[in-house]
Amino acid sequence: MKNILSRFLNIYSSPGFAGRANTGKSMPGQGFSQGIALSFPFLLLLSGCIGDDVVFDTVPEAVRILNPVDSLTLGDTYQFEARFTNNIGEVEQRNAIWTSSDTEVLAIDGAGLATALAEGRATLTVEIVLDGKDPVSDATEVVVSEEDVVGGPSGERSGTIRTTSSYLLEGSFTLRENGGDIVLEFEGDYRASTSLPGLYVYLTNNPATVNNAFEIGRVETFSGAHSYRISGVGLNEYDYLLYWCKPFSVKVGDGEME
Amino acid sequence: MRKNNIILIFLFLLAHVSYAGGGWPQPKGQGYFKLSEWWVISNRHYTDVGRLDPNVTNGIFNTSLYAEYGFTNRLTGVLYFPFFSRAYFNNTVSGTTGEVITPGEAINTIGDTDIGLKYGILTDGPVALSATLTLGLPLGENSGGSAGNLQTGDGEFNQLLQLDAGRGFRIGSIDAYASAYFGFNNRTNDFSDELRFGVEGGATFLGGRLTAILRLYGVQSLNNGALPSELSNSTSIFANNTEHLSYSPELAYNVTDNWGVSVSTGRAFSGRLIFANPSYSVGVFFKLM
Repeated sequence: MKNILSRFLNIYSSPGFAGRANTGKSMPGQGFSQGIALSFPFLLLLSGCIGDDVVFDTVPEAVRILNPVDSLTLGDTYQFEARFTNNIGEVEQRNAIWTSSDTEVLAIDGAGLATALAEGRATLTVEIVLDGKDPVSDATEVVVSEEDVVGGPSGERSGTIRTTSSYLLEGSFTLRENGGDIVLEFEGDYRASTSLPGLYVYLTNNPATVNNAFEIGRVETFSGAHSYRISGVGLNEYDYLLYWCKPFSVKVGDGEME
Repeated sequence: MRKNNIILIFLFLLAHVSYAGGGWPQPKGQGYFKLSEWWVISNRHYTDVGRLDPNVTNGIFNTSLYAEYGFTNRLTGVLYFPFFSRAYFNNTVSGTTGEVITPGEAINTIGDTDIGLKYGILTDGPVALSATLTLGLPLGENSGGSAGNLQTGDGEFNQLLQLDAGRGFRIGSIDAYASAYFGFNNRTNDFSDELRFGVEGGATFLGGRLTAILRLYGVQSLNNGALPSELSNSTSIFANNTEHLSYSPELAYNVTDNWGVSVSTGRAFSGRLIFANPSYSVGVFFKLM
C-alpha cells in the first residue's frame, strides 16, 4: 500500500508531471496527467478567498436625553445630558441646541444646565441640526415645585423580544436602574431556541448589526424568568435588545424598548 | 450546535460518499486512487425546524486523497486524507458606510481523516455484500479563528460500521449497477450517534468511458449526545445533531484505462442544522489494475 501511494504521489510531484513512474518510458495518458498537474495548483489558488457580505444597517439618526427627570425643586439646577447617534447607530459628538417651552419656569443654557425658576411645568427639548435633513430631537417634561423632589422618572423601560429568523425567540423584558447598574429582567414567558450556536444578547441603537452595540453576554438561559446585571451603561443609552448568533454572524431577533 | 452546529455536515459526507465503492471490494493488488477538490460556499442554512435562514458566507475547501487498495480479494484498505483543508468566513461590511464591521477569517490545516477496512462478505454471487469499519480521526482543527468558530474537523473520534450491497446488470447494451448502504456512526465527545443510509445507481456509456452516477443518501441523528448545541461555537459541517436528505449526481470519464476525471455536486432536499448551498467536487482518479 505504501509503495502504491508513494508511486501515486511521486507521479504528481515529478517535474513536469509527465506520467513517468520512474521507468523513463512514456505512459498512456501523458498529456492528460500534465493537465492535472497544472490544474490542481490552480484550483488550490482559487480556494476560498474571503469576500464581503454587505449588511443593510442604515437607521435614522437620533438624539436621546440620557438622564431625564420628572421634577425639580424650585431653585435647583440640573445638568441634562444628551447623546446623538448617526445613521449606523454610532455615537457622534454634535452641537446640541437646548430649549425650554417656558423659560420663566425652567431655564436651560446651551450646555444643558437647567435652573428651576418658578413653580410650573415646562418641556425641555434638545435638537441636533443635520445637513440636508430635518433636525432630530428629544424632549422631556419637568415639573418645578417648592417641595423636595422625592423620585425621578420611572427608572425603567420595557419591551418584547421577537424573532426575526426561523429560530424561536419570544418574551417580555424590563430594563431598570439598580444602584449604579442597570438590570435586564426577563419574564416567565421568555423562550429561545437551544439549537443555535453562540447566541449572544446586546444593547444597541441599530438592531441590524452588532456594530457599536454593547455586548451583555452569551445566552445561557433559554426559558423562563432570568436577569442580567449590567454595569457601565445608562438606562437610556440604547433603544433595542438584539439577539445575535456570533458563529453565523446573523441576527436572530430583537426587542424595542419603550 | 456543539462545538459545532449547523451546517455543512452533509457536504462533508458527500466527500466520502462520492468515493464509496458499493459492495465490491478491490481485488487483491488492485486499487483506486483519487485526488480531488471538494468545496462548499454557503450563505444560508437549514434551521432546527428545517427552514432556510441566512448566515455569513462560509467556505470550506478540501483537497484530498482518497485511496482503496485490495490487500486480498476480500479485504480492502480505505483512506480519505484531506491534506489541505481551508475554512473561512467573509467580511461583514456596512452597507451604509462601507466599513468592515466584522473582518473575515480563514484557517488552513489538515482535515479530519478516515481510515477503514472493507471486507467482502459476498463476492461471487450476483449480489456483492461488504462490511466496512471506518475510523474518523480528528486531525483537523475544531476551534480555529479568533472566535473559535472555524473548523476543518469536529474534534471527535468516530467509528462508522457500514453494510454495502450492490448488484451489476445490463440495460440493453449499457452496463449498470445499483447499490445501497446502511451504517451506524458512533460518535464520541458527547456527539449524537448517527444513522447513515443511501442508494446509488450508475450506468456506463461511450464504450465504458463515461459513467453517470446518481446518489440519494441521508443522515439521521439519534439525538442522544449530551453536547449542548447552544454552548457550541460552530456553524460547520462538523456540528452535532445535523440531519439531511440529499442527492448527488456525478460524471466520471475514463481518459485512459487507468486515468480519469470526475465531477459531482451535492444538494439537499431537506435538512436540519446544515448548510443549504450545494457542494461541488472535481477530481482525477487512477485505477491500479
